[in-house]
Amino acid sequence: MFALGPLSFAAPLALIGLLALPALWFLLRATPPAPRRAIFPPLRLLFGAPDDAETPQHAPWWLIMFRLLIAALIIIALARPVWTPPSVENETRPALIVLDNGWASAAAWTDLQREANRLIDEADRDGRPVALATTAETGQAHPTLRLADADTARRLLESAQPQAWPTRRGNLADRINTARETGEIDGELAVTWLSDGLASEGDARLARALSQLGSLTVLEPDSGRAPLAIAPPETAADGFTVEVRRAPTDLPRTVGITAIGNDGRALARRDVTIEANAGSATANISLPLDLRNRIASLRLDGSSSSAAVHLLGDSWQRPRVGLIELTNDEGQPLLSDLHYVESALTDRAELIRGHLDDLLAAEPAILVMTDAARSDDERIQDFVNEGGVLIRFAGPRLAARGDDLLPVDLRQGGRLFGGALNWEDPQTLADFPAGSPFAGLPVDRSATVDRQVLAQPGSATPDKVWARLEDGTPLVTAERRARGWIVLFHVTASPEWSDLPLTGLFPRMMQRLMGLAQGGSVAAPANGSWVLDRALDAEGQLANAPASARPIPANAFGSAQPDPVTPPGLYRLGPASSALNVIGTNTRIEALPRDLPGAVFAGLDGPRPIRFDAGLLAAALILLALDVLVALLLAGRLANLRIGGMAAAVLLGLAALPGAPQARAQDTSSEDAFAMEAALALRFAYVRTGDAALDRRSEAGLTGLGREITRRSAIEPDAPMGVDIDTDPLIFFPMIYWPVTEDARPLDPETAERVSAYLQSGGLIVFDTQDADVAMLRAGAPHPGLIAVLESIDVPPLAQIPPDHVLTRAFYLLQEFPGRYSGNPVWVEANPNGASRDGTSGVIIGAHDWASAWAQGERGEAMAPVEGGERQRELAIRFGVNIAMYALTGNYKADQVHVPDILERLGQ
Amino acid sequence: MSQGTDRHTEARVVALRHEGEDAAARLPALMAEADRIAATVAQGVHGRRRSGIGETFWQYRHHRPEDGRAAVDWRQSAKSDQLFVRQNEWEAANTVALWRDGSPSMQFASSRNLASKADRAAVCLIALAALLTQGGERVSVLGESAISRTGALGLERVSRRLVTGPGAATAVEAPHVSRFTRIVLASDFLDPPETWQARLSRFATMESNGVLLRIVDPAEEDFPYKGRTRFEAPGSGETLLFGRAEEARKAYRERWQEQGERLTALARQFGWTLITHRTDRPATSAVLSLYKTLAEDV
Repeated sequence: MFALGPLSFAAPLALIGLLALPALWFLLRATPPAPRRAIFPPLRLLFGAPDDAETPQHAPWWLIMFRLLIAALIIIALARPVWTPPSVENETRPALIVLDNGWASAAAWTDLQREANRLIDEADRDGRPVALATTAETGQAHPTLRLADADTARRLLESAQPQAWPTRRGNLADRINTARETGEIDGELAVTWLSDGLASEGDARLARALSQLGSLTVLEPDSGRAPLAIAPPETAADGFTVEVRRAPTDLPRTVGITAIGNDGRALARRDVTIEANAGSATANISLPLDLRNRIASLRLDGSSSSAAVHLLGDSWQRPRVGLIELTNDEGQPLLSDLHYVESALTDRAELIRGHLDDLLAAEPAILVMTDAARSDDERIQDFVNEGGVLIRFAGPRLAARGDDLLPVDLRQGGRLFGGALNWEDPQTLADFPAGSPFAGLPVDRSATVDRQVLAQPGSATPDKVWARLEDGTPLVTAERRARGWIVLFHVTASPEWSDLPLTGLFPRMMQRLMGLAQGGSVAAPANGSWVLDRALDAEGQLANAPASARPIPANAFGSAQPDPVTPPGLYRLGPASSALNVIGTNTRIEALPRDLPGAVFAGLDGPRPIRFDAGLLAAALILLALDVLVALLLAGRLANLRIGGMAAAVLLGLAALPGAPQARAQDTSSEDAFAMEAALALRFAYVRTGDAALDRRSEAGLTGLGREITRRSAIEPDAPMGVDIDTDPLIFFPMIYWPVTEDARPLDPETAERVSAYLQSGGLIVFDTQDADVAMLRAGAPHPGLIAVLESIDVPPLAQIPPDHVLTRAFYLLQEFPGRYSGNPVWVEANPNGASRDGTSGVIIGAHDWASAWAQGERGEAMAPVEGGERQRELAIRFGVNIAMYALTGNYKADQVHVPDILERLGQ
Repeated sequence: MSQGTDRHTEARVVALRHEGEDAAARLPALMAEADRIAATVAQGVHGRRRSGIGETFWQYRHHRPEDGRAAVDWRQSAKSDQLFVRQNEWEAANTVALWRDGSPSMQFASSRNLASKADRAAVCLIALAALLTQGGERVSVLGESAISRTGALGLERVSRRLVTGPGAATAVEAPHVSRFTRIVLASDFLDPPETWQARLSRFATMESNGVLLRIVDPAEEDFPYKGRTRFEAPGSGETLLFGRAEEARKAYRERWQEQGERLTALARQFGWTLITHRTDRPATSAVLSLYKTLAEDV
């Protein structure tokens, strides 16, 4: 490396080439530019003309400079210059690198690693010892923290990986203090903390420990790479809401949230934008229950860290619960049993209220039957046998008489405590038994039970009892029936018999019961241990469980935090599964506080070496291309290139530029030009068929008709326009003349839609098959081209023009509608009243070849003979005028106001 | 390959022919005001005051044995005992011989937008031929065939030869023309005036004269060249390198002027008319001058 201050060259020998530049200067000066070549017939006259051709002509000085510049650029580029920013001030102390490798480092890991490498390289260059420490636990013992040579530090750095759990900076502070005490670290150190930018508990302790070692520099990733985290979703009525969190920065950020199903398919996706200086944003994702139940995980797109994934366990899935409604309303909705059940379940299940018939049709997973709604219906029996869960609540009726759908036999009459005539105190709940699905729920001692139904002694075996009162009488009993469950609360669902429905315990118990619905199995038992099934790795991918993972006892799962022993992931206990995520509801994400003791903050993105060679070579190539142009210009060859070709080349070049806005601009401008031309004057249009003779005839026809209309009426149409039915907008034209050939092709769907839209918006299309002379030869068969065209358009039923149709009196009074031919029927819409076009027909279909009859040459001479002579041509023109009037005034002449006038004229 | 070339040539003939006829088509309107010319156009056929092929009666003469039976005019013969033969006046049209120089220098066009001199010459001559055949005159192409032609078919053949013919200088140096034939020579007249003097004197011996149509490319007259330029003469391959072409401009313009003057003098000396036409001007102007000149004495 050869360096000039911060500028260094990887191949400095190539710079010797610069010495050749002066030689090149003389060479270029000595070579005159190529002469222009001119063919000149009267050369003879030029012989002996005065000229100083002997004087050597130099290339212009600017051209020489230009070429020298090219040569210099290439030489410098070949020397491969590198701009290395000035490194930090001369450091003599040993280096300690502290590297955050928690989940938040995953996003910026390569940058952190590169920076660490650079620091190690620097220390290596200066021969300073280095130590490297990481802040996250790895599940293995940390290597001893000691100052060693750079290679050791590099090996440590290579083996360091971002982890799926948060950092434990406090632990590192302890280790540093230990190392100081044992003397592994001694003296002044230059400490660099490559942080992930997030605050955690031990920040201050670590900073204090580090700053005691020497100077502490904290590097943070820039705000664009700040880690994002996804909070646990919360269910909403029509889906769920997810919060995305980050440490607030001054940049807004948009990130996509994808809900991924069990089978790996994306079920929903939503972009959410975190505003500048905001720390979180919430996305509402609405999703039908069926789909919502299938969600296995939520992921932030493009963010690879364990916090960007939220795994969902069994508890996520919301069962559909049917509440059997009473036949007769009790009149006090807030005191009814169902109200309490509904309130308890409202956010945790999809609730349906209705009569039994409706409910069973909706196939709920759980049926809730209150006492008032009790029934012995066989269908409920079947429902339970087929895997349904029946949750029953006791009440006066059940106390009076039991039935079959009960987990235990009941004693008649029930039990009453705490009344005025009763010496027993109201009972409170006992701790839930270990085998019960309620196990682990904290018992609310304030809930008292005044009345209950009692199980026959002996029938309530301990496995059937899920909750007991203090005195041991069963409160909730359950029994497996075939594939389903019957669960009985021995109290009412309303606070009539007990306080239980008023406590926070009740909804939690109900939620536990919801777990029964899925797969028909008991929710997670309270004993046993959750075993890690699939672990979430630092990149947010599901991986095999790491060796450090240990099972979590069931009762400790709720308080488990992600760490090497309990890594985030999906845990299983029997058939139940549950997820442990990095980010909990209460996990806060905040930026590293700025007031860390002794810390100096800096950005991770310090200046980096910049390489110029590619840019220089590219510049030289562009200049070379320019030089060719200049040489051509000087030799006079450029004029020989066709200007059009040049323009095309320049345009191509421009179009090749990213974005190519010019090309698009041209498109729109041509579209605009068409629209302006069509819209700025009243014009009739004809459909171009691609048959030049036919199109000419159509144009001449409309031109002639336009001339006649201008002469005869107040309409003054401009020259007609041909439209391409597939591409041009039709909306500007009041009337379109459409000659249909036998081989006309069906319209493509898009075109057909546009034509239909044109008709719907009040346009008029005159279809002319122009074959009335030979129409009879088809012997009643429809015109094949017309059929093809009309089939794709939405054409209502047609009828021949009735004698009282507006077309017969829009301007002239007519009863026949001849063109070049006559005598064939002309069709219009049979019943246009329903359309939005105010009762006017959108189509006129005939075969009379009107265009030929209307066609006029430049001097107004008729261009085609007409079957019935000039009289028929006149009638044809009159019909044309009527069509134009009809297109422009619609059903105006149908108005009864005109009847007297018309009658009078008819009378003449 | 040859077929392709043929088709190309054919297309060029047709294109130039149309151009020529277009140039001619504009003339009648111009000439409507020129009564004298219009009158001349009206009659192309001139009686020769002697018996020959024609439609007008000239005389009866006695039947001779070699005349055969069919030649007898029976109506006249029935009036007497002798047999008579009816003779008509010999009517003949003037012949105009056309020549387009085909030398390499004629292929020159200084700009893409301008026609080459040869093409422009052909256009002018075809237009002239169209006008002449409309007037009933006969036209021929020097060096191609001595037979002069008229009518639409004749125009067709003459046009073809004007466009594709070699236009060799030998046709001018040893012309096959009958006496008093009117000649139109279209060329750039870049050969030395002495050469042309020799050529014109040969026509003079046949008592033929006519019009010299001098086709000039604007670059030849204006000499717009600048800077280091290598001039090449078409055909010969001779080149001349100028370091600063603009310095030669003045001398060249003088020589060009002199060349023009000598040509004019030459034409006057032999009784020809010199018409100079620049290819950046419309062909019609040249055709009009040509026609006027010819019409004056046809």
